[in-house]
Amino acid sequence: MGETETQAVLHHGEKRATAAPEAPRSFAVADVVLRFLLFAAAVISVLVMVTSNEKKTFSVPLPTNPITLTEVTRTSKWRYSPAFVYFVVALSVAGIYSIITFLLALLALMKRSMPTKLLSHIIIMDVLLLGIVSAATGTAGAVGYLGLKGNTHTSWAKICNRYHKFCRHIGGSIVVSLIASVILVFLVLLNIYALSKRIPK
Amino acid sequence: MEVENGGNKEVVVANKRSFRCSDLVLRFLALALTLVAAIVLGVNKETKNVSMEILPKLSPLTVPVTAKWHYLSAFVYLVVVDSIACAYAAISLVITLANRGNKKGLTLLIMISDLIMVGLLFSGGGAATAVGLIGYEGNTHLRWNKVCNIFDRYCHQVAASLFLSLLGATIFLVMVSLSTLNLAKKH
Repeated sequence: MGETETQAVLHHGEKRATAAPEAPRSFAVADVVLRFLLFAAAVISVLVMVTSNEKKTFSVPLPTNPITLTEVTRTSKWRYSPAFVYFVVALSVAGIYSIITFLLALLALMKRSMPTKLLSHIIIMDVLLLGIVSAATGTAGAVGYLGLKGNTHTSWAKICNRYHKFCRHIGGSIVVSLIASVILVFLVLLNIYALSKRIPK
Repeated sequence: MEVENGGNKEVVVANKRSFRCSDLVLRFLALALTLVAAIVLGVNKETKNVSMEILPKLSPLTVPVTAKWHYLSAFVYLVVVDSIACAYAAISLVITLANRGNKKGLTLLIMISDLIMVGLLFSGGGAATAVGLIGYEGNTHLRWNKVCNIFDRYCHQVAASLFLSLLGATIFLVMVSLSTLNLAKKH
């Protein structure tokens, strides 16, 4: 009994030893690098969005006397639109999650292996995060497009002809979050490929 | 030895079967949901008579106003994404049925395509949700007035379509998770 057990263990070890070179070390390195890039993209897009507030002074005709102009100061803030609030929350979640998984990936790189169960759970969490981040990109993109072009049917006027810095910040932030979701797709792809490489033939 | 091998083989096949069956059911569900979502949003059109006061002394004029689904680009995006997901679900259903030998490359390809569908459907749902929320609540800071107080049925149809497409996106997410677990089980 003991002998068969040790044999089984040996067999298992042998399998591991043969399976190990199949998942190359470059995969783990790429995983770490991509997770760091994801963290950077999430932080940058949150920072750019948060610093987008713009104060502007407009000359508006008085309602009582339309010939004289008065100065009115208006501020455009990202917090005014629920879509941008959701965007900031989602990208912050992505940043925190990417720190945690970055540390896990670094640990796996040093110990040279990650348990299969943990790897599959990380893939599932990555897919979930992909859903969250792409939804955030979609919401912010839709509202940003409305702000850029306006909509004549619903008489929603565009605001980007007045707030330049605000719109530039929001556009940049959306582009960076799009990059973040593409990085997430590559991460999941890489990890699925690594997982499929581990299957003993 | 032979008996053991046969038993092993049977277990593996049974496992694959059970996963594949649920996969087929989910794929069909995703197909139906995205199809219905695309149709519900695609036929969305409502005409209403709105009374407008042009001058305070004149009696108010009644003007017919129409809201169509393609007036807002976010809704166009959602319909396109729903159609893509629907077509992909049909194609992948056929491929999964034909993939009897469970080829590794084909399974991986379907997983990756599912993943892209997750991204597309969630971004489309997010975009349409943001625009729908502005239509429902309005935005006083930007002076974007709400439109849902005029067009009831239009807004209800948008909400129904949104719910269905987000459910479809969740089903694609579950499919990716299930096939990942399946892949890990083979280890």
